[in-house]
Amino acid sequence: MEKIKDERLQLKNLKNIRITFIVQTLGIIGILLYDLINHGMDGMTDNPVWFVFILTGVINAYLSMSISVEHEKTKRSPVTRLYISLGVITLISLLFVTFIALTSGYNVMDGLLVGGIVFVCSVIPAFYMYGLRQKERDE
Amino acid sequence: MENKVKIARVSLDLTQQELAEMVGVTRQTISLIEKGRYNPTLKLCLEICYAVNQTLDEVFWQERKE
Repeated sequence: MEKIKDERLQLKNLKNIRITFIVQTLGIIGILLYDLINHGMDGMTDNPVWFVFILTGVINAYLSMSISVEHEKTKRSPVTRLYISLGVITLISLLFVTFIALTSGYNVMDGLLVGGIVFVCSVIPAFYMYGLRQKERDE
Repeated sequence: MENKVKIARVSLDLTQQELAEMVGVTRQTISLIEKGRYNPTLKLCLEICYAVNQTLDEVFWQERKE
């Protein structure tokens, strides 16, 4: 197939891909709902399609961050915002540790494990946003 | 978007196909630009201007509508 050089057709192609993506996502959601109804929550999460769904969701979230960063109006420096994010993330993680440790049937180790996972999963996007904000500032 | 691409093209005795080949797009794109139904990028506008030996002002400028 010849490479498309016409900008109008390139744009049209992207719009077509978007439609395909919507149909594909609806199909995936349909399959997962079918699994959820027939085999319950575990049956749904055992399906490899669940992994694809979550992975595309995460990728979409990361890509959306670059758009939200450019849309921000605040004048606060990226470093200050990183510190604020880290503070909030630490607080939320500690709350998780405390609540899980205090729940009957779970011990402090379980709390630390969940709190640690929450912390790591939140810290990565925080640093990514910091990088994006710094880059946007340089532009 | 209104423009004078068609006038500029006809004045040089070029067909839509010839202009399309000169700027590296399809004939349909030129047709849609002339009808004002496709909004070209600045890059394509410049390519068209180079091809018809005119400036952006002459081909694409329009007064602000009230």
